[in-house]
Amino acid sequence: MTVRQPYGSVPTRRDFLRGGLSLAALAGIGPILSACGSDDDSGVADDGTVTITMWHGQNEQGKETIDKIVANFQSKNPKIKVDASSGGVLADAMLQKITTALSGGSYPDIAYIFGPDIASVARSPKVANLQSFITPPEAKWDDFFPAARDAVTVDGKVHGFPALIDNLCVAYNKKVFKDAGVPEPTESWTWDEFVATAKRLTDPGKGIFGTGWPADGGEDCVWRIYPMIWDLGGAIVDDSGRKVGFDNDTGLKALRTVHQLGADKSAYPDTKPGSETMYQIFNSNKMGMIATGPWQLPAILEAKVDYGVVPLPSYSGQRVTIAGPDTWTVFDNGSARVKAAVEFLQFVTAADQDVQWATQAGSLPLRKSTSESAEWKQHLQSTVGLDVFSNALGYARTRPTIRNYPRISQPLGQAITKMVLNQGTPEEALQAAVQAANAALAAG
Amino acid sequence: MTTVHGARRRRWLPFSPWHLVLVPVALLFALPLAWLVMSSFMTNAQINKFPPTIIPDSLHLDGYRYVLNNALFPRWFLNSSIVALVVVVGNLVFGVLAGYAFARLRFGGSKTMLTLMLGTLVIPFQITMIPTFLIMKKLGLIDTLGALIVPSLVTPFAVFLFRQFFLSLPREIEEAAWIDGCSRLKALWLVVVPLARPALGTVAVLTFLTTWNDLAWPLIALNNDHNYTLQLGLATFQGQHRTQWSAVMAGNLIAVVPVLIAFLATQRTFIQSLTSSAVKG
Amino acid sequence: MGIELRAAVVSREAASRRRPPARRRFGEAGTAWAYILPACVVILGLGILPMAWSLILSLQRSDLIAPAEWVGLQNYDLLSHDPAFRAAVGHTLIYTALFVPLSIVGGLGLALLLNRKIRFIGVYRTLVFVPFVISATAQGVLFSFIFDSHFGLANAVLHWFDIPPQGFFADKNQALYLLVLIGLWSGVGFCVVVYLAGLQDIQSDLVEAAALDGAGRWATFRYVVWPALRPITVFLVVWETLQALQVFDLVFVTTRGGPLESTTVVVFYVWQQAFEFFNAGYAAAAAYVLAFGLLLLSIGVRFARRRDHEVVSRP
Repeated sequence: MTVRQPYGSVPTRRDFLRGGLSLAALAGIGPILSACGSDDDSGVADDGTVTITMWHGQNEQGKETIDKIVANFQSKNPKIKVDASSGGVLADAMLQKITTALSGGSYPDIAYIFGPDIASVARSPKVANLQSFITPPEAKWDDFFPAARDAVTVDGKVHGFPALIDNLCVAYNKKVFKDAGVPEPTESWTWDEFVATAKRLTDPGKGIFGTGWPADGGEDCVWRIYPMIWDLGGAIVDDSGRKVGFDNDTGLKALRTVHQLGADKSAYPDTKPGSETMYQIFNSNKMGMIATGPWQLPAILEAKVDYGVVPLPSYSGQRVTIAGPDTWTVFDNGSARVKAAVEFLQFVTAADQDVQWATQAGSLPLRKSTSESAEWKQHLQSTVGLDVFSNALGYARTRPTIRNYPRISQPLGQAITKMVLNQGTPEEALQAAVQAANAALAAG
Repeated sequence: MTTVHGARRRRWLPFSPWHLVLVPVALLFALPLAWLVMSSFMTNAQINKFPPTIIPDSLHLDGYRYVLNNALFPRWFLNSSIVALVVVVGNLVFGVLAGYAFARLRFGGSKTMLTLMLGTLVIPFQITMIPTFLIMKKLGLIDTLGALIVPSLVTPFAVFLFRQFFLSLPREIEEAAWIDGCSRLKALWLVVVPLARPALGTVAVLTFLTTWNDLAWPLIALNNDHNYTLQLGLATFQGQHRTQWSAVMAGNLIAVVPVLIAFLATQRTFIQSLTSSAVKG
Repeated sequence: MGIELRAAVVSREAASRRRPPARRRFGEAGTAWAYILPACVVILGLGILPMAWSLILSLQRSDLIAPAEWVGLQNYDLLSHDPAFRAAVGHTLIYTALFVPLSIVGGLGLALLLNRKIRFIGVYRTLVFVPFVISATAQGVLFSFIFDSHFGLANAVLHWFDIPPQGFFADKNQALYLLVLIGLWSGVGFCVVVYLAGLQDIQSDLVEAAALDGAGRWATFRYVVWPALRPITVFLVVWETLQALQVFDLVFVTTRGGPLESTTVVVFYVWQQAFEFFNAGYAAAAAYVLAFGLLLLSIGVRFARRRDHEVVSRP
């Protein structure tokens, strides 16, 4: 460090900077920036035992069920050791964790990734391509519900296994309906009826809302509008993939419906992240209807609410809803570990475990055969309304797995929030959302 | 200050009139603690009720049962304690040395070094987290408590705060020690450090709390649930669709109460240290 | 430490006034470097590299997942035309401009209030410190209860005073100011603790002497207490400014930038770009714009404060 400078050549500031930078580069930026790539087949022991790591992001029942499935798998496959943990995060924070892990080059073999994120994660060369594993008929790939299959497929390549599937239906509070003297909704109702019912149920004096809608602009606020757009013949992105598919009457009509709820003040705007409050209000007999997934049923039951479930309303009379599938994305830590991960996931999603996962962790079957099994049908009797969600799997659609999806969702979320908060017109809101989303899509 | 005399002069109340100001102020700040205590004794159903329950009609231990039934909870408590204690000691020792050097010693590059240290704070952690992860991985510390300790072992916060405290201490006392033949390190240890007890206490408390409550970095740096800190463990009680609020509240209370008791017990030693008598002597 | 020990031995032989024991001419600098070495290793070792890494990232188009592409200053160019980023900067500046002075004045006021020897003072001090101790998660839940636009405690209290219900976090014109209020409430304890410690350094004989000389309370504060608190105030201004400009946790647990992006602050924007929109290069550039802003601010402060050499010259 104490290099003597001969007189006359005093180091200039720039020399110093340059020296510093090259030193820094030598010292570690170089190797650190290229810290990608993992040690091939590091999890394979001398005796052929393969160890795989799974970050499942679950707690409580979800974690317990997975632990049981892992123990069961372990007893049948001593050559594969599964190190399953939440990964230090719950599913909500998994994306940030996995992004850091990928850029740091130390990632698990399996992680629980939300459906809308898989397209972006799959840009990583470290995400495995499972095409060759799922084509053999014994993989029974076609037995998965289409929405579940679509969710793990990006640009025609399969990068994981379906992990969980749900969909939106409407839960309604029988007590609130009775107190307001409003007839309960039917199987075949329309969005106009939904809006009118919400208005009739609303009673500001008693603090009762017809319905609720997340107003945080997040994905939970956004995905509720897609069934409306699909029902009207619109799409999230058009066929070219360079433009949104709701820049027309479909988007406008859907936003108008939400706007009406906002203008009537019949929808509680839940501005808090997580939108937990609107469910708490529903469960406290202060809200008449809420569009929700099967995951909410245990809490409704716990609150001892007298409730019923009907499918989402529609404009056209056809049944449409959205499924929000999550994935077990597989990462490439060498071929032996990918193979072991697939073997394990085959087991997790096989009929016996699928039914176990769906019944104990409170979700829905991933496989058509499971949904028709005697065990599942018997489970449906245990929970009011679960059959409505189970039936909806047959017609549920899913968001496209495209990388730019978050940049469509964000502006659309702002537009919907404006409607829920009754600010501005549907026309202006749609225009702003379309402009921002199209710019993002065009930029690629 | 002068109020001690003031309060004694006119006693129109059986207690100091300052209590009339302090009680409402303290209540305003204590609000969350009261609410935390209350919610920790409610069931999930009571907590989830809307409009919110303020005074529950019955008290329950569900939350505590949930937390204490978790076999790993003591382990998380221990992990948090280890990390926080090592980090506090590191910041006190290295922070005092560096802070003293920056406040009292003349050396070329003093300003530059201090500026550089503070300069490392200008890029938000949300970005530097990733390269820090890479460095920790190179050091083999990912998924160990070391990953939490090393980056916080001494912080610009401690160095800077100690420097500013030392600037306000009178130089004369130290110089008196030199005349008595003390070396600089000895004078620092025997004279300056005892005088700087308020500063030491402050850095200790604030460093402890920052470490104890940190969630963002443990979330990224730790994977295995045996290595979790308390806050990370508590975060796993919050589900995607359902949260065990009573357990979260009970766990938070268990995490907070020891800290508050420690603060209450020790604030006297660092806030009411008798600097004046030391100065006179 | 070795240098220190040697110096200790030498020191016994000659003790000169106003100087620590005799040593070689550059002994003081040697001691200084020995003292700051551990801090340098940890802080700079773990600080400079990530900063360089982020700077490089800001010149790339990167999602942290797929291989990055070099784009030069394009990210900065895009940022300069990004209305969302400009709004985030605006929110951050409003937050900082309100939070820093209020937290310091409030902290000093509370510290003076709590700096007295009466019964239960330890309890009062502890309670004022409570919000600082409670985790961000618990605070987020608490405030969603209190400031709920329809069922919250705050509106119930306002109703009691015949004030119409407010939107709070559902009102884009109120949300940011509400965040400042919550930030102050939970952050002022920090200033209180630091000021309380600083007040202990003030020699009480000086205060008493001033009182004997007939100085009023204000004069005593102005000429005895305040000058002694100067270095600590500098610390607090610098520190709170850094904290305010980088506010994140509070936004993350209460509003996530909403409603309608009215509380998107710079660091939240950075996080969103990096971890929601897979736009890490752009996020790094946004972080660097914030850093450059701080640099300019510190240069400004340095010029303004040149005359006062005791004051640290930059954040």
